[in-house]
This record gives sequence, structure tokens and C-alpha cells, in this order.
Amino acid sequence: MEFTVQKADLVRELGLSQGVVEKKTTIPILSNVLLEASGDRLSLTATDLELGIRCSCPAKVKKEGSGTVPAKKLLDYVRLLPDGELTLKFLDNHWASITCGRSRTKMAGMSRESFPELPPMPEATAELPAPLLASMITKTIFAISAEESRFTLNGALLVIREDEGAAPVSVMVSTDGHRLAYIEHTGEVPPPKEAVRVLIPRKCMAELVRLAQEAGPESRVNLAGDDNHLFFQIGARLLITRRLAGNFPDFERVLPRDNTQVATLDREDIKAAVERVAQFADERSRAIRILFSANEVKVFTSSTDTGESEELVPSTYSGPDIDIGFNAAYLIDFLRAVSQDQVSFQLKDHKSAGELCPVGDPASFRYRYVVMPMRI
Amino acid sequence: MRPTIFHVDMDAFFVSVEELDDPSLCGKAVVVGGRGPERGVVSAASYEARRFGVHSAMPLRTAYKLCPHAIFLPGHPERYREASGRVRTVLEAFSPVVEMASIDEAYLDMTGCLRLFGPPLAAAHKLHQRMKQEAGLNCSIGVATSRLVAKVTSDQAKPNGILWVLPGQEAAFLAPLDVRKIPGVGKVTARELYAMGVRRVGDLAALDEPFLASRFGKWGVALAGKARGVDAGGWFDAPIGADAGPKSISHETTFGEDTADHEQLEATLTRLCEMVGRRLRAHGLHARTLQLKLRYSDFTTLTRAHTLDHSSAVDVEMADAVVALFRANWNGSTVRLLGVAASGFNESSGQMALLDGGRAERWRQALEAADRLRDKYGGRAVGLARSLKTPIRERIHDAMPDAPPE
Repeated sequence: MEFTVQKADLVRELGLSQGVVEKKTTIPILSNVLLEASGDRLSLTATDLELGIRCSCPAKVKKEGSGTVPAKKLLDYVRLLPDGELTLKFLDNHWASITCGRSRTKMAGMSRESFPELPPMPEATAELPAPLLASMITKTIFAISAEESRFTLNGALLVIREDEGAAPVSVMVSTDGHRLAYIEHTGEVPPPKEAVRVLIPRKCMAELVRLAQEAGPESRVNLAGDDNHLFFQIGARLLITRRLAGNFPDFERVLPRDNTQVATLDREDIKAAVERVAQFADERSRAIRILFSANEVKVFTSSTDTGESEELVPSTYSGPDIDIGFNAAYLIDFLRAVSQDQVSFQLKDHKSAGELCPVGDPASFRYRYVVMPMRI
Repeated sequence: MRPTIFHVDMDAFFVSVEELDDPSLCGKAVVVGGRGPERGVVSAASYEARRFGVHSAMPLRTAYKLCPHAIFLPGHPERYREASGRVRTVLEAFSPVVEMASIDEAYLDMTGCLRLFGPPLAAAHKLHQRMKQEAGLNCSIGVATSRLVAKVTSDQAKPNGILWVLPGQEAAFLAPLDVRKIPGVGKVTARELYAMGVRRVGDLAALDEPFLASRFGKWGVALAGKARGVDAGGWFDAPIGADAGPKSISHETTFGEDTADHEQLEATLTRLCEMVGRRLRAHGLHARTLQLKLRYSDFTTLTRAHTLDHSSAVDVEMADAVVALFRANWNGSTVRLLGVAASGFNESSGQMALLDGGRAERWRQALEAADRLRDKYGGRAVGLARSLKTPIRERIHDAMPDAPPE
């Protein structure tokens, strides 16, 4: 195999494969990227057996064929080459010879025979604007559980459904059992061929955001699935993930219905207050307290080990005093993920789930963040 | 004012408690730890049994060979804890600053208490009498200006004695003792010191600090301080009672017969979690980190830890995590010993759960009730069904990782 490619093209596509390539693997081939030259394109494939990516770029193919080389080493080297064209050729011993201007390099590679085969993508069942998907992911990904034993919570649930006579609704929801992030979006999505209800693993979500950003604001994501895999196609790039097994918990049940005590706060004010007070929270529990009282919210903590801290934030609140404990990290995650100027805290009492929402979202876009309090 | 520190060490504690319950044992060779020449180790031996060379941590079978006529008892951890509580009550009447270093020994800061109780020896004498009257137990008391010397002193005072090292005489008192008497000097350090020709604490004190530092690092500097009778290094630097709570709570068990029956193994782990959970609740603590200890028949031992995403004192939650660790690490061979340790304590259970529909809260209440039943009717009065298949007996261990080895 021999081809010539623009350095910039190769660096960009290799960069996208880096998040997928396994860094600490016991299977050496998984550190490699599969290069395949045919027609007028070079395609690049990487996988860690859970997640796989296939992308491509234009290339002048002199001789068709394929081979594999360590993905990170190739990227690190090519990045250092001068801008312009480079030529890559696989030798008989699976090594790759790279020439660019006056640079000559031979890189140890491995036979493509041992590279895992990625499944073919079935027909797409749904389509989403890429920026919408990326936005849904960035607003939910932080609430995914890191607890590996709770494997059904190691990803987010994506639902696309079309209720009769209504616009299609897309929902993404994630939870770690202590808090839950929920996004509901109406319209803008073409009606799906069949209703979608899939669990997307966290690593796949992070890569989807990168691919969506790379693809630009007008791009769209085609979604397909087989029994074991999910497929996301964005332009010429394809991301394939193994499905998460199991059922996502019944989240509808825990979305609060009667949280009638509402405080509206300036997002920057409350974010800064929580961040500062959190410095003095117990390091393990991250617990802080918030006292909601008329027109004012007091964020405070005191610990015999680290000291005490208190912040007052003006608020529109007229309900009874509520003194409630929260994990500061959970609140900060949300307050960093929203861009609106104001947020609302909707509460019931100090031992029921609180709900946080940005204020001023259009009716077609609902973002709800439900957090269980801490015992204080 | 120079500090006055008491180290109060109960004499043959487990055996003495057994004697309280069954006076016919008094004056006889008694070994606590098992019913006879079975697997396991000696938890405690009476002074009569010690005369035959039996000592704690010795395998039961060795103890049986040395002293076959001894009375072997499996032990009553519940009773020892109760007795330890009585000991603590007595101690707290003497000083507001009491630190129980383990179930049967404590440090008291008596600095400033002497106006109430008289000079150190008189105060120690009063404490010694009060312990006998109120707890019915013998103890030995070491009195010194530092914790370290107090601990060494109480050991020299045993059994049933009181010893006071006059201020300024610490180094002279320590000098003739074997280096192994210094808390923290175990087999390994001792072997190295012996190899250097250092056998007595006096030899050690004669060495200069930079030399010890080059040989043993930071520990060498601490060692130099210890040899002069100063509290130095790790745990001995902290004031008494600075951190009265345990740093970890653990239970472990050696099987009577090695087993590879996963039901029995998992039931045992669950039972160990229940025991750990009960102690967590008694201390009002919630643990974040759980550790599994697994020893195979060939004595290869592994420990694996898991940190939960919230603090827990709920037996089933802990058991789920520990059993998962076990499943991920067990190679299927026969197992000799299992242990569970909890650490990373919080006083609040903290984060409430969103998805469990109040399950954790109901467990909390159920376990509280179960603990009250156990207090009244004994440790095995109620338990999780999935722990029923275990044959284990309880051995207790209030670990304080920074404390000197016994």
C-alpha cells in the first residue's frame, strides 16, 4: 500500500481517533490505527473493543492496501512534520515508511490480520442535528455514575419518540443515583423511522461531542443500531459503540411534581458563592448547607477541621425557611453547564429532591436537574 | 510543666474477663482463641499458660503442644467490649483526656490532674485500686513524661504493677532494654539493628541522628528520638485524645477448614460486613472505603479496596461492594482467611439516594432495630439471610493503623 496525503488532513483525523485508542491495553493491536487506502481516500479505524471510530480523508492512492501502526506515535510524529504532503508506504514486514520533504522514517507496525473487524452499519433509524446532540450530552454527561458496578447508569438514555399529532420529542437523561440530569427537546428533529430508546456509554458520548464540534453547526447525526451496537454517523465519520446492557431506571418516577417553593437566583452569584463556600466543605462528603429565607439565600458550611464560610445571595423567595444540605460538587456541575443568566431552585422540604432549572429556556427546550439533598 | 502520662494496660484482658464470668478459671492455664488444637491463633493467654511459653498471636496448635492441659475457650467478644467500656468509665473519672489505644489499653494525660489525685505514684495507685473495685480487673500502669516511655514502662510493670520513670531519667531507664521494646521496632528493624551491633536502647541512643537518617530515612530520626525517650514519629507526635475515634474498623476470620465453596465464602463476607456495619453504627460512623482481604490456602494474600460514591453504614450496601470485589479477584482456589475493613469515615451518612424509593432509609431503621436486638440477645440474634451459611466465629480487632504494633 502506498498513498500521499495532506499532513493537516491526517493530523485532524488521527486526532479524532486518539480518544478511542486504548492507552493502557494488554492487547497491543488496540493501540494501533488501521490505515486503509482505496479509491481516492484513506480511511482510519481505531477501537478499544467497546468503542470504535472510522474516519477518512482524501488521499492520492498509488497502491491500494492496508496496515496498522501505533496511533499515538504516528500522530506525535506527523504533527512535527512540516506542513504539506507526506507519503506513507507499508513494507513487507508490516513496517510503515513515511517520507515528507527531507524526512525519512520507518515505523514498526503490525499485520492488519489481527485488527478487530468492526460491524457494518445498518440502515439509519433516526436523525438529529449534531449541535443539538452535543448540547444534550454536555448537559447530562456529568451526572453519569462512575460506579462501575451500577453498569446501567454508566451511560445516558436517549429517547426519540413521536407522539401522535405532535412534533418529535428527543430526551436525554443521566443519573448516578444521587442526582439526575434531564433534557427534553421538541421539534427540529425529523420524525424517526422507529422510536429510539438507547443507552449510550459515557466514553461514546464524550467522543460524539468532539465529532459534532469538528463537523460544524450544520451537520447531522444518523443513528442506527443492531443487537449489540449503536452507530452514529456524522458526515464521513462513523462512531460505533457496544450497547450497555440492562434497563435504565424508571426516572419519570423521581422527577419532582410538587416542588412549590421556588427561588430565582443570579447564576453567576450563586455559582461563585457555592464555589467559595465549597472550599471549606468536608473533603469527603463535599457537603454544604443552603438556607432559603425571604429574599435571601445563605450558602454556608462549617467544619472543625477546615473552618467556616458563609455567603449571602439575593433571591426572589417568599416561602417558609428551608435549611437544606447539598453536595457542592453536584450543584457546581449544573451551574457550570448552563449559560442562562438566572437559575431557579424548586424545593419541597429539606429531605426531598430539589430541582434546578435555567430560567428563560424556550418551551421547546426543557433542562431539569434533580438533586437529592444530604442529611445535615 | 512537664507532662505526666499514664499508660494503662489491662493484664491478660480477655482471660481476666472470662475469669470474672467463671471464677473457677482463676489460677488455671487458660487460652482464649479456640476450643483446642484447631486452626487459628491465640488471642490471649493467662499468666499460668504463659509460663509454658504460650503467648498471643501464636497458632493454637503450637499452644496446645506447649500446654495441652490448658483450658481452651473460643472467647466472647461481646463481653470484652462491655468490659472495655467499664474500663473506660473508670479511666474517665481520672482524666478528661483519655485515649483508648485498643480494646485493653489506654493513654491518660494526667498533667494538671495531680492536684486532685496527689503525686503520680499515689494517683496511679488510686487508679489501680479503683479499676479492681469497679471493673474487677487487674491492670499495669506506666507513668512517664511521654507516651512512648509510659508504654514501655507499663510493659516493665507487668503483671499487676505500677512503675514511674522519674522526669529526666527516661534515657537511663530505656538504655539497658532490648531495642525491640521500643514501640514500632519490629522484627525487620530489630534484625537490621542487631546486624549493626545495636542490641540495647542505650546503643541506639549513642548513634548520631544523621547516621540513623541515612540508614533508615525519616524513621531513623524518629528512632533516635525514641531512644532518648521522646515522643517522636507518626502517631506518638499527636496529643492524647487528638483523634479518639478509630481510623478503620475490620473483622477477619480464618476458616476451620479451607473452602472454595463460593456460597460459603460470600456468606462469610456478608457476615463480616454485618459485624463491621454494627461497629460503624455503634461509633456513629459511615465508611466510604471498603477493603477485602483474601488469603488462599498457600498463604498468598491479597487486599483489594473499593471506594463507594457515598458513605455507608448499611450492611447490604457494604456486602454488595465487598462481594463484587471478591468476585472480581478470587481465582477459585481454596481460601483460608477472609477479612473486611472499612475506612474513610464520615459522621454523616450524607447523600440521600434518588432512585431507591427510600430503601436506604428503611434499611437504616431496620438495622437500628436489629442492633438493639443484638445488644439484648447477642451478636447472632438477627442477621441477613444471605450470611447464614457461614460457620465463622468472631475475632475482634480495633485497628489503629498509626499505632505502634503490639
